[in-house]
Parts: sequence; C-alpha cells; structure tokens
Amino acid sequence: MADESVGERNRSNAFVVTARKRTLQKVAKTAGEGMLFSVAFFVAVIVLFIFYFVARDAIPFFQIRGFSEFFTSTNWYPADEPGEFGALAIIYGSLMVTLGSAMIAVPMGVAAAICLSDILPFSIRQYAKPVIEMLAAIPSVAFGFFALVVLAPLMQDHGGPMLMWGWWILVSPFLLLSVIVIADLLTANIKDEKRRQQRHWMLLIALGLFSIFLLFKVGSVLNGIQILTGTNALNVSIILSFMALPTIVSVSEDALQAVGRDIREGSYALGATRAETIIKTILPAASSGILAAVILGIMRALGETMVVWMASGNSSHIPEPWFNYLEAIRTLTATIAGDMGEADQVTGSARFHVLFAMGLLLLIISFISNLVSERIVVRQRKILSGQ
Amino acid sequence: MNIGTRKILDRSFTAVGIGSIVVMALALMIVVVPIVYNGIGAVFFTGTVEHRKMLHAEFRRGDSQYLSSEVASSNRYRAKVYDMLTGFEAELETMAPEKKAEYQAKYSQVRTALQALLGPLPGDPEPMLTRFKYGQTRWEKAEEKLHDLLYESKWDNTNPNVMGKEYFVSRAIGFEGTSLARLFPYVKDNLENMLLPEFTFYWGFITDSSVDSHFFGGIWPEIQGTFFLAIGAMLFAFPLGVVAAVYFTEYAKPGFLNSMLRSANSTLAGVPSIVFGMFGLAFFINTMKVSESKSVIAGALTLAIMILPTIIRAAEEAILAVPKTYREASLSLGSTKWNTIATVILPAALPGILTGGVISLGRAAGETAPIIFTAAVSVGSAIGLADVFSSPTPALSWNIYNLASEHEAATQIRHVQYGMVLALVTIVLLLNLSAIVLRARISKKLKG
Repeated sequence: MADESVGERNRSNAFVVTARKRTLQKVAKTAGEGMLFSVAFFVAVIVLFIFYFVARDAIPFFQIRGFSEFFTSTNWYPADEPGEFGALAIIYGSLMVTLGSAMIAVPMGVAAAICLSDILPFSIRQYAKPVIEMLAAIPSVAFGFFALVVLAPLMQDHGGPMLMWGWWILVSPFLLLSVIVIADLLTANIKDEKRRQQRHWMLLIALGLFSIFLLFKVGSVLNGIQILTGTNALNVSIILSFMALPTIVSVSEDALQAVGRDIREGSYALGATRAETIIKTILPAASSGILAAVILGIMRALGETMVVWMASGNSSHIPEPWFNYLEAIRTLTATIAGDMGEADQVTGSARFHVLFAMGLLLLIISFISNLVSERIVVRQRKILSGQ
Repeated sequence: MNIGTRKILDRSFTAVGIGSIVVMALALMIVVVPIVYNGIGAVFFTGTVEHRKMLHAEFRRGDSQYLSSEVASSNRYRAKVYDMLTGFEAELETMAPEKKAEYQAKYSQVRTALQALLGPLPGDPEPMLTRFKYGQTRWEKAEEKLHDLLYESKWDNTNPNVMGKEYFVSRAIGFEGTSLARLFPYVKDNLENMLLPEFTFYWGFITDSSVDSHFFGGIWPEIQGTFFLAIGAMLFAFPLGVVAAVYFTEYAKPGFLNSMLRSANSTLAGVPSIVFGMFGLAFFINTMKVSESKSVIAGALTLAIMILPTIIRAAEEAILAVPKTYREASLSLGSTKWNTIATVILPAALPGILTGGVISLGRAAGETAPIIFTAAVSVGSAIGLADVFSSPTPALSWNIYNLASEHEAATQIRHVQYGMVLALVTIVLLLNLSAIVLRARISKKLKG
C-alpha cells in the first residue's frame, strides 16, 4: 500500500520501501496466506481422515462376513461363537425412530418457523428465539435422562390415558376444522341460498356427530392400551423430535425469510388471506429450503446416541406388527455405543469391525444427505436471487 | 369457500403456528422443571443424623461435640429397638422348630429393613462397603425405608392378562403375639427421634468427591473432568476455527477448491457424534497413540474436531457482520490487508466470535458420545492437571448415563443423578445465556 511517493520532509525509514523490503513483504504475505489456507484445508483433511479411518476398520467386517448377512438378517448375536451379525432389525429401529421423530417434528417445526417469520410481531419473536436456542443447547444426555427417568415410568404406568388425552388434544381441533371446511366445500355449489344454508347445517351436524363418535371410539381404544415397557420407540421419537425441532425451525425460517416481500405483497394484493398467502405462495417458494431443513433435522435424530441408548430399550428385533411404536427397539448409534466397550477387547474380530461398519453406514447416510441439502439450499438461493 | 370459512382457516392457521411454539416452550419446561426441582434436592434436603455422621467420618466436616451429643440422644431411642431385637431373638430360641424357622425368615427381613433405615445393628460385623456403614442420610428416603419396614410388598399375579399389581401386607400382623409386634409402632412413632432430621444445605455436593460410587459425597471429579474436556477442546478448536474463518471470509477465491472446502465444513458439521467417538478411538488412540488408552487429551481432540465447524461458521458470520466502512477506512489510511484484519476487523468481530466460542464450549461440555471411547471413565477421583495426557477422567455427561443406566443401585441414588443433570444443564444453559446476552449487546452496538 505504502508506495514510492513519500513526502520530502518526513523521510523516515519506516516509510521507505526498498526492493528488499518489498520481496520480504511478498514472501511474508504468501507464507501467511499459505498458512491460512492450510488451516482451512485442515478441515477437509479431517473429513477425509474420518472417512478413511472408519472405513479402514469397517472393510474387514465385509471381508470376513460378506454383505448379505448384515443387511438381510435380523439375528444379532455378536457375542456368540460363531457370532451372527444381522443388523436389519437395528437399521430398521434407526429408521423407525427417525421417521417417528420426523412425523412429530416436521409439522411442528415448519408451523413454528412460519409463525416466527410471518405471523408473530417482532417483540414476541425476540423471546421465542432464545427458547428455541435453549432447546437446542440442552445436552442430549439430559434429554436421555428425562426420557428414562421421567417419561418412561409415566408411559408404563399411565400409557393408555396419556395416549387418549394426546389423541383428544391433538386431533379434536383438526377434526373440528375439517368438519367446517368439508361442509363448506360440499355445499359451495348449491345456488339456492336457503337450501344451501339448510344443507350446510345438516352436513355440519352429521359430520360433527360422526367426528365426535370417532374421537371417543379411538380414544377409548387408546385408553385400553397397556404399554408394557416405557422405554420404547414412541418415547424416543418424542424426545428426538424435541431435539430435531430447533434445527428444523431455524433452517426453515431462514428459507422463509429468503422469500422476498414482493411475493407476499403480490398475494395479499390479490385478496388472499394470510394463511392462503403462506400456503399457496410462500411455502412453494421456500419448499426446497424447508426440505433441506427437514433433512438436517432428521439427520440429527438419526445420529443421536444418548437418548436412544438410554430410552429405546435396546432390544434387537423388528416390532410386531412393523409399525408398533410401543415396543422396545435398538438403533445403530446405540449399538455402537453399547457394544464398543466389550468389542474393544477383541480388536480385529468381526465383532469389533461390525460396529465400524455401522459407523460407516451412518457416515455415508449423513454425508449424502448433507450434500443433498446443501445443493438444495444453493439452488434455491440461485432461483430466488436470479429472478 | 365462503369468506367466513376462509377467515376461520386463517385464524386456525395462526393458532397452529403459535400453538407449536407454545408446545416447544412447554417441552422445554417439561424437561427442565423436573430436572431443576429434583436437582436442587441434591443440595438442599432434609438430612438425618446419619448424614452428619457420614460427613464427619468421610470428610472431617462438622462440629464433633455437637454431633456426639446428637448421636447420644438418637442412640437413647435406638437402644429400645435394639433391646426388642435381642428380646425377640431370645424368644425365638424357645419356640418350636417349625415355628422358629417361619419366624426366622421374617425376622431376617425385618433386620435388613432396619439396617437400611438405621445403619448396622449392634452385633453386625463391620460392613465392607461404605454404603452399608450408615443408615438413611436423607429423610425422604428414610420414610420410604420405614414403609419397607412396616409393610411387606407382594405381587398380585392372579390375572394373567395384565401386569402384576403390587400390594402391601403389614409386617406387624405377621408378628402378632410375639414381643416384636411392639417394634413397628415404636419405630413409626420415634423415627424422628432416632434420625433427627433437619434442613441441610449440602454445598459439598459440588466440591466433594464421591464416596462408594456416588452413594455419598459429591460430584467434583465429574465437574472438573467436564471443564478439562471442554476447555481442552476449545484450546485446539478456537484458534484453528478463527484462522479458518479469516481465510474463508478474506482470502478464499470462489472456485472449485473453495466450494469443496465449504462442503467439507458442512459435512463435518453433520457427522453423527458417535462417529466422532469411533474416529477418536481409531485415529487418536489406536493410530496416533496420543495416549496408551483413554485420556483427557484424546477426548479433547475428538471434541475439538466436533465443534470446529460450529466455531468456523460463527466466526465467519461475525467477521462478515463488521461494517464495510471499517475496512475501507483502515485501508484508506494505508494499512495493509493483514494489518486491517488483525487490528480492525478481528477486534470488531471479537464479541461475535466469542459468542460462537461460548456456544461451542457448552456443546463440548454437554456432548457424551465422542468421549465414551476416548476419555470417560465411570468411577474415579479428580485428576491433576499433569495427568491429562495419560489418564481418563469422569465427566458429568458420561456419568449421568452411567449412574442412570448401569449403576447397580440406580434407583437409590436418583438424587445424585438429578444433581448431576442439573449441574450439567446449568453449565450449558449459563454459557448459552451469556452468549445470547452478548449477542444482544453486539446487535445493539452495531445498530448504534
């Protein structure tokens, strides 16, 4: 920066740039930049190392036992002589809790993100954001402890009533809403105002009675359910959804914010209500960003260890029937965490390497879903800024 | 659709959004409230004379004169219990053999229940484990044990279709007609005189080490281990992260290499935490041999890799948030790019960078999975600073798991577990709270 022209009067050595000094500066600059680059490159090296070292210990397993048993058998007896290493039930357990937590966390998370970005005034938003951050900050082992010590006994002792109240509280507002909407839609085409009104009321009453019947019938069935073990897939799914929520909310809120004001205002100008604006214009525009948020959120649930280890029951079998969330299950992460202590003694055996095979599976899934979500975000940004 | 329905839909849509935020806040409450409520019980509780005896014997704490007067007064009431026991033992000898065998079994149950309540009875051999040397140290536990003494628990399995139901039978009825029948009402009426409950503030829960795998004592080794691990991780990750962020924001040129590095960063952020643990085991311990087996340094390095992407991202955001005018002013004054970064941009971005650092510190403190194979042991005393390169350490996060799931008497030491969870949650939430406050002040400052 300091160039040749230095004033005659303050000709101090500090401002004189000799050729030698300039080379030195250049060398220092290149060296400094090289150092910075090497530190940034270090991150890439770590990622490569993680892949290499997990794969290095995972490949021997497939050499010893082949692929088919791991992915198709449900017999998991690693400690036997000879051991059986069928991980299908474990992979299924992982998928089950991931799906379960996604079913709770995705609708709630997207609704909360919409609320934060479009509905709540700024003053309230200020307080809502720290709540979400706190939820994200609570250590997973604290959630696991809660699931094991508080939620599991509650479920075991009062499972049926809890399910019934959950059903009533969650479903009755939506049922009421759908009754109103269906009655409205079915009568919308009738021209005669008086007849339409009549039909409308009749439909409302009929549908209302039917939905009340449905509520009570399903509620009483749920009330009769006795949960045999509190450490089950449902418990874990609920807790994991709490943990996935902050990610889903913050990433999809970013996606919603990225949709410009002009789109919103255009929709309002056409006479749409706020709900219609959000559902019909903003959500489609932000859909890819929300998809990325969902992927990141469910990855958090899939990769979570402590909660599932403590509260999933760790029993390696596919539930009966396959969608029964009230049975104990076992997941990949919990298996790695739980078996490594014993398998560590027998380094080199299939029992040790199978855990790394599971780790590799997790790593590959997380890598692919990360890449996909990243591509999606980049593409959305391009589309939104390009047009 | 008519306008009324559209309005209802709009309102209910808003309600769903607000409802889900309320549910999230409730979820936070539901998780935190029992932890706080029960966790405080680890420090503030109604302690019995057994607690004070334990403190005096294990930690040399408390007024020994006052304690011995307390012990004397409680022993006055206990003496009657012991007399009744010896009386009944003598009575047993005189009974017919089959009746004696029947009572003997019941009597040994009574003795066990009394031992749990009051500590070793006269004539018992000196117990090997510290946990059997004292009676109940906490009053609410003593009340539970009193119930165990007064009632025998039985299971009703008559209906094979439902789970067995527990029901209780009074032991006093079982001893009807013998001299021991008087024992039960006596213990029930005089338990307070025998245990002398009084409100206790046990600050040692934070600073003591544990006695007999957490039956008594505190959690200092775990707290210290957590600090060692978290701060060790920061020592590695923070400088690296800030330097990498400077590179990404100031020097990186868009291109294949740069996008690859960014992908690497987000991949690292998405790696499941247990995989970090496996990597730490396979790389730091089995390959690099940073230590013989588990050690604090291996755990700290593993945690450092885990929090690196978070720090990089936070530092990048903080650097990008520095107004452009700062940079331009500095450059126009003739300083070099490097000089501008070191003296203008980094100081201005420092609070933001620190915020990210503090949040990552909390994450490192709370994370369990990466340290399972690399640093954590279940039982152990606090280690010195010199041992971090060679020895593993107990840590809050790991010991919560261990005590809650693998401890042989997990249900008896729930208060210790709750206390540990509360300590961990407090550390993490305080760090996060300070980050939130810090950030609020920055945004105020940047707005001017």
